[in-house]
Amino acid sequence: MLAIDFGPEGVVVVAGRFDASQCPAAQAFLDRVDGTVTLDCGKLDYISSAGLGVLLKTQKRLLAQGGKLRLAGMNRHILDIFQYSGFDQIFEIEPAR
Amino acid sequence: MSARPNPRGLSAQDLEAILAVTSKLAAPFDLRTMLTEVMSAAKQVLGAEGGSVWLYDAVADELVLEVATAIEPVRVPAGSGLVGACARNRGVINVRDCYADPRFNPEVDRRSGFRTRCMLTLPLVDHKDVLVGVMQVLNKTGGAFDGGDEDLAIALAAQCAVALQRVKMTEALIEGEKLRQELEMARVVQQSTLPATMPDVTGYDVFGTFQPAGLTGGDTFDLANLEQGLLVVLADATGHGIAPALSVTQMQAMLRMAFRLGASLETAFTQVNNQLAATLPPDRFITAFIGLLDATRHRLRFHSGGQGPILHLRAATGECIRHKPTSFPLAAMPVTALRPAVTIDLAPGDLVLLLSDGIYEYRNGEDEEFGDERVCDLARACHGLSMRHLADRLLAEVKAFARGAPQEDDMTIVLLKREAARAAEHRSFPRRIDAIAGIFEFTSEFFGLQGVDRRLQGTVDLALEELFTNMVKYSPETGAGVRIDLAKVEGGIEVSLTDYGVEPFDVTQAPEVDIDAPVEERQPGGLGLHLVRRLVDHLGYDYAKESRQSRITFRKTVAGLQDGAL
Repeated sequence: MLAIDFGPEGVVVVAGRFDASQCPAAQAFLDRVDGTVTLDCGKLDYISSAGLGVLLKTQKRLLAQGGKLRLAGMNRHILDIFQYSGFDQIFEIEPAR
Repeated sequence: MSARPNPRGLSAQDLEAILAVTSKLAAPFDLRTMLTEVMSAAKQVLGAEGGSVWLYDAVADELVLEVATAIEPVRVPAGSGLVGACARNRGVINVRDCYADPRFNPEVDRRSGFRTRCMLTLPLVDHKDVLVGVMQVLNKTGGAFDGGDEDLAIALAAQCAVALQRVKMTEALIEGEKLRQELEMARVVQQSTLPATMPDVTGYDVFGTFQPAGLTGGDTFDLANLEQGLLVVLADATGHGIAPALSVTQMQAMLRMAFRLGASLETAFTQVNNQLAATLPPDRFITAFIGLLDATRHRLRFHSGGQGPILHLRAATGECIRHKPTSFPLAAMPVTALRPAVTIDLAPGDLVLLLSDGIYEYRNGEDEEFGDERVCDLARACHGLSMRHLADRLLAEVKAFARGAPQEDDMTIVLLKREAARAAEHRSFPRRIDAIAGIFEFTSEFFGLQGVDRRLQGTVDLALEELFTNMVKYSPETGAGVRIDLAKVEGGIEVSLTDYGVEPFDVTQAPEVDIDAPVEERQPGGLGLHLVRRLVDHLGYDYAKESRQSRITFRKTVAGLQDGAL
């Protein structure tokens, strides 16, 4: 299961498994955010290409508006997926604290 | 004290007499023989009628009369009398008329019936300048002791002091050696009761090992097939030395006897406890896990007297359950009301770990304890190993943790694992995206049951999801589900997805995506297959025309992991 919601200071917190079955709900949530948005990935355990697709679509929309999606706190496994897919070049990734 | 009217030095004759004594003193005497020998030499060399040796008891600060004519042992405070004065001042005292000297204590004469006229009193000081006693020589034949006698006596006393110290050390060593031998014997007895071979239990892997700590400790374990089931025991008697080794040996013999006579778990636990409570010294007790495994119903029932935590690793979830003891340690007091036994139900792949506190409480140089968290972590990580190998890994882990800190207590490990089911499984899933949760459940269970390295799971799930969603997207709804096969292979897992009634699509030939394209040009399509090809060790595809059956196979093993990366 994936949980996605606003955390403190307007940060969006994603937790759990971001697989294909979770995409519609996640996309619906991210379609409502604007500007420069930080996504806290500290509790994200898993992401597949479907999840990456949701983030890509959101990033394109925000960039077009002059905003962007920043990703923070991702674990090694998730970071590997971003690197292997070249998505580390598309998103600003803050190193895990 | 005398002036020396006629100092004469040591004559050749005197020297010979002294050397004869010295060579005699080098022989391995017991204390009494040695002292008697010294006194007879003193009497001979100095022409005295008698003599005595007082030993200094440093603990009580008293002098103890060891050799004299047959009288009861006499103890005097180290400051009193002529001996006392000599011990305090560490100098020779030559008294020509004892009854005229106020320091003289006539009590000893009164007891022995001996009449002391004149007396030489000399301190016995060893080569480290430690006072070991006082020597007295009495009644010079036909006169009083002169300066020459003093010189002779001093030379003799020096030899005597060194010999005395040597004898005392030898005696302490012999005492220690006796103790060591007895202890060693007790340890041999203790170890001889351990099972020589591990019992065969269908569907189970059981293993126990005992690592003694030098000469102390009181651990034991037992694993034996009995009528009541597999007897599983791990016990640790308190204290150091011979007693705990013998206590656990006794307990183990009693337990086996009770069970062989048909006792139930409750009866055996209660009776053995009560018997030990009645016979062991009041400050002794034994922490003990006593369990019976029903290997057909897969239930381990146990009582534990103060032995814990008892760890139960559930293969399906990786959860480590800590069970507490059911009672106080054995022999602490009689059992009047016993709480019910605890039952652990063992699913395939489940593991029970019993460890003595020699492991849980092993301290490293930083005074940190090994604890149970490390045990659980290791059991999870090495779950696929045989129990013998897991025990080896545990001991190696403890050793690495200790970083040279010495083993203070026995370490005992008893491991019991219900063997996992088959090493391969398959399930079919409906062609819908929401079937993914069920697929992840299937892989997670399989990883747990088969002990596949959990580090591989993220990648396996990802590859499965990507390939499965492709099948859902690109194949028409046929009614037939997608079959997923999981098989354990050396160091990892092999997965295949079989799709029925479809057109061929060779995933290994799909075009590459440009992952360096700018964001505006990036499309989500094709990325899944790119990741799969990138992450798995081997990807294969085959298609059967007749049945229109498409099958994708991939493999992921730890050999493909680099620096902890996927």
